[in-house]
Amino acid sequence: MTVGTDPYNARVRALFAHPAHAGHLPGAVTVTNTDQGVRIELSASAEQGRLAAIRFRAWGCPHSIAACEAACAALEGRAVDAAGQFLAREIMQSLAVPAEKSARILVIEDTVRLLGAALQESATSGRQN
Amino acid sequence: MNPTAELVYLDYAATTPLDETVLEGMLDLQRIGGDFANASAVHPAGRRSSEHVATAAERLAGLLHTAPRQIVWTSGATESNNLAIQGAARQRAHRGKHLVTMPTEHKAVSDVFRALEAEGFEVTWLPPDGQGWLDPATLKEALRDDTQLVSVMHVNNETGVVQDIARLGSICRERNVLFHVDAAQSVGKLPIDLQQLDIDLLSMTAHKIYGPKGVGALYIADRPDVQIEPLFFGGGQQRRLRPGTLAVPLIAGFGIAAEIAAQCMQTDAEHVAALRDRLWQGIHDIEGIRLNGDLCNSWPGLLNVSIDDIEGESLLLALEPVCVATGSACNSTSQEPSYVLRSMGLSDLEAQSAVRFSLGRPTTREEIDLAVNRYRNAVAALRELAPGKVA
Repeated sequence: MTVGTDPYNARVRALFAHPAHAGHLPGAVTVTNTDQGVRIELSASAEQGRLAAIRFRAWGCPHSIAACEAACAALEGRAVDAAGQFLAREIMQSLAVPAEKSARILVIEDTVRLLGAALQESATSGRQN
Repeated sequence: MNPTAELVYLDYAATTPLDETVLEGMLDLQRIGGDFANASAVHPAGRRSSEHVATAAERLAGLLHTAPRQIVWTSGATESNNLAIQGAARQRAHRGKHLVTMPTEHKAVSDVFRALEAEGFEVTWLPPDGQGWLDPATLKEALRDDTQLVSVMHVNNETGVVQDIARLGSICRERNVLFHVDAAQSVGKLPIDLQQLDIDLLSMTAHKIYGPKGVGALYIADRPDVQIEPLFFGGGQQRRLRPGTLAVPLIAGFGIAAEIAAQCMQTDAEHVAALRDRLWQGIHDIEGIRLNGDLCNSWPGLLNVSIDDIEGESLLLALEPVCVATGSACNSTSQEPSYVLRSMGLSDLEAQSAVRFSLGRPTTREEIDLAVNRYRNAVAALRELAPGKVA
């Protein structure tokens, strides 16, 4: 963070102020991850191989919360496979995440991938049952 | 933050705006035709500038109940602290190299001691109690035959806790140990009578009391034992203790601010105390809130609170347009939890959630009510967003 400059760009401020995907989906697949000073919970429901709805809850800095919102917005409606291949690089760039916080955003990447794996597993076990 | 919203400034412990009277008093000293000359020059214009410096010294000395000749002008409290601590430690190094201070000091003090440690001085860091207070008995036990200097701040910049500088000073004087006080947060806000206190060196700054930024002062007691080495070389100004052309407009502004502070001290204290109490009343019942410091033993314009399960940086953003500090202002670019609060026994998470509200002469009841509302809403929103308690 540089003295005298706003540490948050307009996108971070907008996503932090209005996290449209904040919340929890009861009965959905849920994963949590705590590392690097953030605690993230993602819950999602899948329909026909797509992420029908995805919500997050987060404890962390504004960049982390904004990144969670950005990730959820990017993933909702996409194929479940997309979660398993999710990369946070674009989000980090668009939010101008400072280098010292990049590890926190990588935690979000890990959590999304955990979610993708959990959804795949859920779908597989559902087919087996 | 809504760019059209008005800011609510509650960070007066970091810095204050210029008092209009101070500004007017300074302007004439910078213009063509004004008293802008070098105060060390012997010509008439120089003598006129010199008179402004002398008047400022009288005003500041009047606030502190001391003599003008005991004031050395500096660029601010950081320089004053460096001059006092480095200057005294080096001057007395032949007698001994043991120094004493606290881990809750401002970095303008603690970093100087760390630098001296690296040079071979031995520093004892006296721990505060859970309220941030230093028991004078703890200091007494720490003093040794080779102790040369003790430095303790008067009012803590993060918690507002007031140290018993009268008792601490007398303990030092009994042992012939120099006593330095960083009074950046107390000069002009609390009564300081240097005729009554056993203080050898006292650091201060103008910009905390509605004076200009860039000017401070060091009080040096008029005792044979109190000798310091200069930090700078290059001229004969100020008895060679702090050479360089005097910043006459800034010094004059400091003097005017000091005079106003002397007149307004009581009303200022009552004003901020009432607002501080209103602020605390407005938020004290929030679950998991913790007061850092002691309301009964602190400067009344400051309130430092921590809150369970809230991330400090997000809290700060959610509080906008209310402007508060998380750590000390000088430390606000660091994401490290406050070392002052950790020294008082707070966990990293507790310290990281800390917010310092500091009130000033212009603060209004409406601003406090808005801050209360913002704080309650921000805590509620961030808790709703969080996935359960953090371990």
